[in-house]
Amino acid sequence: MPVEVPKEKWPGSVRTITLGALPAEGGTRKRVVTVGGETAMPFMHFEGEIPYPPVVAIEIKDRKPDDWSPLLLETWRDVIDDPAQWAAAAEEAGADLIVLALSLTNRDGNPTTPEEAVASVKAVLAATGVPLIVFGPGQAEADNALLVAVSEATKGERLALGICEDKNYRTIVATAMANGHLVTARTPMDVNLAKQLNILISDMGLPLDRILMDPTTGALGYGIEYGFSVMERLRLAALQGDKMTQLPMIVTPGFEAWKAKESKVGEGVPKAWGDWLNRAINWETLTAMTLVESGADIVVLRHPESVRRVKAAIDELMAAKAFVS
Amino acid sequence: MAEHKVTFNHQAEPVVVKSGTLITEAARLAGIEINQPCGGQGRCGRCVVQVIDGKVRQRSALRLSAEDISLGYCLACQSIIEGDISVIVPEQEKIERRLVTDRTAVEVEPPLGYSPEYHQSLKRYFLSFAEPNYEDQTDDLSRLQKQLRVELGFKDVEIPLSLVRKIGSALREGNWQVTVYLNVNGSNESEPHVCMVDVLPFHCESDSPMWGAAIDIGTTTVTLWLVDLWTGVVHAQVSEYNAQIRRGEDVISRIIYADKEGGLQELQQLVVGTINQLIELACKRVKHYPVQPEDILKLTVAGNTTMMHLFLGIPPSYIRLAPFIPTFNQAPFLRAREIGLSANPHAIVDCLPGVASYVGADITAGVLSAGLDDTQKLTLFLDVGTNGEMVLGSKEWLVTCACSAGPAFEGAGVRDGMRATSGAIEEVWIHSETYEPSYRVIGGGKPRGICGSGLISLLAEMFMTGVIDKAGNLNTQLSTSRIREGEHGMEYVVAWGEETQHGKDIVITRVDIDNLLRAKAAIYAGFLVLAQSVGVPLEETEQVLIGGSFGKYLNIEKSIQIGLLPDLPWEKFNFLGNTAVKGAYFALLSQENRERIREIASKMTYIELSADNTFYEAFMSAMFLPHTDMSRFPSVLGAFQTANKLSVQT
Repeated sequence: MPVEVPKEKWPGSVRTITLGALPAEGGTRKRVVTVGGETAMPFMHFEGEIPYPPVVAIEIKDRKPDDWSPLLLETWRDVIDDPAQWAAAAEEAGADLIVLALSLTNRDGNPTTPEEAVASVKAVLAATGVPLIVFGPGQAEADNALLVAVSEATKGERLALGICEDKNYRTIVATAMANGHLVTARTPMDVNLAKQLNILISDMGLPLDRILMDPTTGALGYGIEYGFSVMERLRLAALQGDKMTQLPMIVTPGFEAWKAKESKVGEGVPKAWGDWLNRAINWETLTAMTLVESGADIVVLRHPESVRRVKAAIDELMAAKAFVS
Repeated sequence: MAEHKVTFNHQAEPVVVKSGTLITEAARLAGIEINQPCGGQGRCGRCVVQVIDGKVRQRSALRLSAEDISLGYCLACQSIIEGDISVIVPEQEKIERRLVTDRTAVEVEPPLGYSPEYHQSLKRYFLSFAEPNYEDQTDDLSRLQKQLRVELGFKDVEIPLSLVRKIGSALREGNWQVTVYLNVNGSNESEPHVCMVDVLPFHCESDSPMWGAAIDIGTTTVTLWLVDLWTGVVHAQVSEYNAQIRRGEDVISRIIYADKEGGLQELQQLVVGTINQLIELACKRVKHYPVQPEDILKLTVAGNTTMMHLFLGIPPSYIRLAPFIPTFNQAPFLRAREIGLSANPHAIVDCLPGVASYVGADITAGVLSAGLDDTQKLTLFLDVGTNGEMVLGSKEWLVTCACSAGPAFEGAGVRDGMRATSGAIEEVWIHSETYEPSYRVIGGGKPRGICGSGLISLLAEMFMTGVIDKAGNLNTQLSTSRIREGEHGMEYVVAWGEETQHGKDIVITRVDIDNLLRAKAAIYAGFLVLAQSVGVPLEETEQVLIGGSFGKYLNIEKSIQIGLLPDLPWEKFNFLGNTAVKGAYFALLSQENRERIREIASKMTYIELSADNTFYEAFMSAMFLPHTDMSRFPSVLGAFQTANKLSVQT
């Protein structure tokens, strides 16, 4: 007996956003990445289109990070002092995108200068062919100073510049607008706040198809349910036709998962926790996959093995498309 | 290109302008100054002129009614000259009067057809007795009770001991003629509860006043109306700050204070002291009659639940604690003496019933005076004070909730905030290109601070001109020295030191803006939750009635712009003034109205906003200018886009 599968029909869809620009488009990328375009909830291929698979970005720093887990430092040991090499290694490891997170201070402990930031970005661009996302150090003044310099020096590359927050977005948006870049907009796990920041940014005149939203999340065991629920509601609102939520989502599970005690600490933990490295990678992978299932379009990871596993899982979820008649 | 003659104020020499010129430009050529505080965007309405001959093309007629337009009024900055015209430029003062017509004060008139014999529970009877003698040895009290029974049919009149003490002398002093005041509580007609309020020697004039008082105990302000219960006429209206203010500005801090040793007694005495002052003041205000506080025989009291607890000296502690249960909603009948009021010691004190800890008798009384329980129209009633209480409904049903708006709209909790008294900036306009403000000060002198309406006006202007973004962030990229880094973050200077009374700059800070956003968000979220709770779209509200002392000064346009009030046509809003005291007044006069308030209290469905996260969601989406969901504010969206498009063009 044939069974009628109930299908949800959505009036809205997520915007399609392309990161990076090919030489013909005024950039230097060998390939661009397009995300978004969903007309159904994640991987509900039978209800609508999931035209572009979620992509994986690898986060690198402009210098050896001070606060990363020793496991990560060990993994990237050979390239960690050189952002260009690190970026190349990340691309080699399967990154669809590179996230370059600028440090507040340089190797000597002095504040990172705009010139240094530009040099790092240019080196990364030269060493890779994938699109680039650049995050400031996370402190308003430094973010603005460094990102403006980076933005101007890379005009036309369609970088994504971040992180815009509701208290500090004007400068970043203005420079992105002037130089043909995108921005990422981060809000602390709240549907309304996410929507509000998108409105503020688009009020300045930046088209919505140049905004990625970062609804923030927690790691597995550290509030991921809340993040999941917020992302799910944002996506539901988008599919219901709410224009200001129809933006692809970027989340940073790597950053979150590697903060968790389970990945950070190798000693003095119960034996039952098992092998440290394996646990840490599991933590990052599970955090990322949970968010992919809740609608993330870009997940930013740190460990190459997590990247491999997440990409494999996404491939399987996308393969399900083939079984939809 | 065609040229046209423009005559101003019947001047002999017209000016000649090209077709397409604005009236403001023509006026400038004619040497006539027309104020344009909004920078000629057609938003402020200050440039209203009257075209008495000829026609103009109006780009925008914001702020003008259809009637104004039919009379030829137009906005000079928005009207394009396309033919010969004659224009009258009204004096600035007249324009201001036109602009403040949305502030309606309501005069009090006794209810139509008021009859003390029929409506009033306080009755006056003239009794005459046969003088006792050696044969008739009936005691005075029995003699009186017999008369009450035989002549008036009251079997069990409650006569307190202290009145029994007066009977002997009253009878003899009045030569066996007395005037007796009885309160006949006729909710049960067959067996009314009758108690004696006073017995006085002699028969007084049959139409002489019987004094009563309607009182609203507000957290901030106490209001008292002195009423002649015989005619229903209000002879004096007085109000004074609640003396409890010095022990805490809001109900929660009062409750906390009441929990301290001796705190409750002190707060009770403070508010009774305030009322006694008001009684004395009101008595002095009455013309034509000598009135003493002891002449007041009945007092009807409205007030929020906490105020009512404190007024009666009942510990209010549990109001503050989940699940927020008050000790009482309906107080028993009391006598003035029991609470220390300076009225007649036996005067009846009728405390009106409340609904819940945060929806008190001020609201039930307000609903009565607003006629909410008797209208077919879907009505939103709101009483904005330190707490925002609101009621949605009609004749069929009523739902209510209360949300804590905080004192921001009363000028507290804001750096340069103040009450709406002399020296307060009550309205602000910001020029859309220079970001220079112009403002109006209550009393007309130098400013000292900004009151609630001034803050709403300021917030709306900052938003419409882009001084702040929709989240309330000051735009530091604008070229104006008024936006600067202050002691507590970014701020906007409304008045420089040299313009102010105290010589210091008057500013609004980012923190102030957040407080205002929270206050307005709380109130709008309350509306939304009420409407959602009954499944009615807020836009379907047919009228909005605004009570509370603050309501009088609320500018509807600005309140909608910031998303405090729902985006409905202006004519749907109506200001009722202090609805609580008015409701108390109605209940004071008429037993029917008193009964109606009881019914209102029992009929209202109370929604506790802290029970789930619906309110929080609504609150977060309202924490934006005007709202995260812009489709709820189509008129603001339109005005905002127009304002921004225009400033881009120029």
